[in-house]
Amino acid sequence: MARLDANKATLVKDTLGKLIDRKLLASLEVCVRCGICAESCHYYLADPRPEHAPFYRSEQVRRLYRSLFDPIGRHLPWWVGAQRPTEESLAQLAEMAFSTCTLCRRCTLNCPSGCDTAQIMRAMRTVAVAAGLAPEMLVQLADASIAREEHLEDFKEIYLEQVRALEEEVREATGDPQAHIPVDVEGADILYVALSGAHTILPAAILFHEAGSNWTLSMFEASNYGVFLADTARAKRITERIVREAERLRVREVVVTDCGHAYTTLRWEAPNWFGKPFPFQVRSLIELVAGWISDGIITVDPTHNPEPVTYHDSCNLGRNSGLIEEPRTILRAVCQDFREMTPNREHNYCCGGGGGLVATPEWTDLRLKAGGPKAQQVRATGAQVVAASCDNCRIQLGDISEHYALGTRVVGLMELVVKALVPQRAKGHPLEADVA
Amino acid sequence: MLETKVDKVLDLKGLLCPVPVVKVSQAIKALPIGAVIEATATDPGVLADIPAWARSTGNEVLSIERQNKVITFRVKRVK
Amino acid sequence: MSTLEVVTGVLALTGLAVCVVGLGWRVSGVQGRPFRWDVAPAKGSAARGVAYAFTLGMAPWAKESTRRHLLAYVRGILLHLAIFAGLAWLAASPWHAEVPKVVRLLTASVLTAGMAMGLAGFWMRRREPALRQLSTPDDYASLGLVTLFLATAALSAVAAWCLPGLWALSGLMLAYIPFGKLRHFVYFFYTRTFFGLLFGRRGVLESAR
Ligand code: SF4
Ligand code: SF4
Repeated sequence: MARLDANKATLVKDTLGKLIDRKLLASLEVCVRCGICAESCHYYLADPRPEHAPFYRSEQVRRLYRSLFDPIGRHLPWWVGAQRPTEESLAQLAEMAFSTCTLCRRCTLNCPSGCDTAQIMRAMRTVAVAAGLAPEMLVQLADASIAREEHLEDFKEIYLEQVRALEEEVREATGDPQAHIPVDVEGADILYVALSGAHTILPAAILFHEAGSNWTLSMFEASNYGVFLADTARAKRITERIVREAERLRVREVVVTDCGHAYTTLRWEAPNWFGKPFPFQVRSLIELVAGWISDGIITVDPTHNPEPVTYHDSCNLGRNSGLIEEPRTILRAVCQDFREMTPNREHNYCCGGGGGLVATPEWTDLRLKAGGPKAQQVRATGAQVVAASCDNCRIQLGDISEHYALGTRVVGLMELVVKALVPQRAKGHPLEADVA
Repeated sequence: MLETKVDKVLDLKGLLCPVPVVKVSQAIKALPIGAVIEATATDPGVLADIPAWARSTGNEVLSIERQNKVITFRVKRVK
Repeated sequence: MSTLEVVTGVLALTGLAVCVVGLGWRVSGVQGRPFRWDVAPAKGSAARGVAYAFTLGMAPWAKESTRRHLLAYVRGILLHLAIFAGLAWLAASPWHAEVPKVVRLLTASVLTAGMAMGLAGFWMRRREPALRQLSTPDDYASLGLVTLFLATAALSAVAAWCLPGLWALSGLMLAYIPFGKLRHFVYFFYTRTFFGLLFGRRGVLESAR
């Protein structure tokens, strides 16, 4: 066992020490290893080995914590199972935190004490990043997002060209030759932050157009790989791009596309990093569309989606953000045969693709295996279509559909809405602004 | 497009962000410095993502072209 | 009072003092750590979330995990109830003769049931592979102390001559609380509150939406 050199040992201790706030300390101390949370984790359900139980994982981090911060752990390590870090143990802890926990918080909901294992795993990820043990791909993706702002001029034209190409499709879908995708419009009400790629821009553009919203498209993508790294400095830097853009354009609200971690980040986490609420409201496109449907601002016809559809609650949107009924309002309006998975809503199983796992190819096998419980859930509904409201989930659901031969098609929630849409605006339907 | 020797061809059509970037990054790691990858993708996200990724990792995008819905790009391993 | 009673009584009181000071140290440790209220505007109610966390949220049927592990969960609840009863009995024990016999018998049966739950804890810890792998000497010592405490408390409720045994053991257990896993109960109030705040504010819990 190679001992950590003094610098690294200090780095590990300092990094973890800075992270231990009241919440983390309480979660580190509260677990009695009762074993009750084991099956709440999809990894354990898929492969019931001790190391897949949430408390097993968090206990590995506790051993590190006790060895550094608990007097009993420091002086009588064998008595409380404290373990001083070595090169090997640190590498194992890093791998565990990044590959066997999607930070879904299902175990938190199921622990009689409410122990936040996800927070413990997140802290371990932060320590791993500091020790240079982060998965390379997550680092590259986070840094690419930062580079996108630093070299905005290089990408702007290419991006605008992409947007202009999509405008054609918006016109076709809405039947309105005037339809367009506004970018960089000062004084717009809404700044819409999509992901890279057409599939989150196009449906939103069609729906904003139909609702008559005064919106503008962000130059940046909503995803934030700094969050998966649990590297607040990078995560904040990536979020800042959007905050600055929103402030510069003086928008009233920022609307985030269907993306679980991006919404949780901007809606709930990021204001804490900045220490104050944002000067704009943050909503998910899902909330807007649910409202438009309920208020009759857009017209949808469920017969356009006749096949059985089930919905996968993203852990970030549902369990971690409370967007639970809004997607259901949408699905009941746009599909003829909407079927719930069991369990659902805040109790839903993680698909296995969260926490950055879809972007770390070294753990693909583990990810597919951990998707087993989700595959069973989907199969039990008999649905042909799985609606997803998060891109990470969408990729994972597609992969498990193939891996487990489910024969299901995975579509974005907004794509179902667009399919059900009966364009009215070209016919002079009242605008959102008029109704409001 | 310049006639460059292509060492590896990747088909990324139908894949959504961030998978194209992940696949390119993985493939380039397996090639020697100076090698070139040519990839085709359909997700227009790559138009900005690949150059941004190349910048932050110190690799070089030799070309990026779009024909209808298919985007073809070439990346050279520099580091 | 016999010498034995005096000595063990002093032991119990010393244990209590160590416990109070030690827990004070633990509480100041957690209070000394930073805490920031979430600044994002709430969607649901934090207050209702916290209220739920300490009431219905603790019900055996409230969680999938406790429904699945009903026996283990009920065992835990009974053990904890018995500990509270044991501590109450410990406080009343110097006035043993004045406590009506029926109350003492009742107390003894509750404490015996608690002791059985403690013994079951050993069995669970050995049976489950994950728990077996993770259990530390502290886990066994803590469970052992509590089980013995309940056993002597039960005995002493019916047989006064056992009181010095109860007091000696209580002194030991109380003094150990701040240093071993028994201290988890202090943090329970924190994690449960944070749980309620988090899932309440974000409108995740049905009762807080
Ligand atoms: S995390 Fe909670 S449920 Fe799981 S073992 Fe620890 S105390 Fe028990
Ligand atoms: S947060 Fe989710 S993935 Fe992580 S241990 Fe808990 S249940 Fe498992």
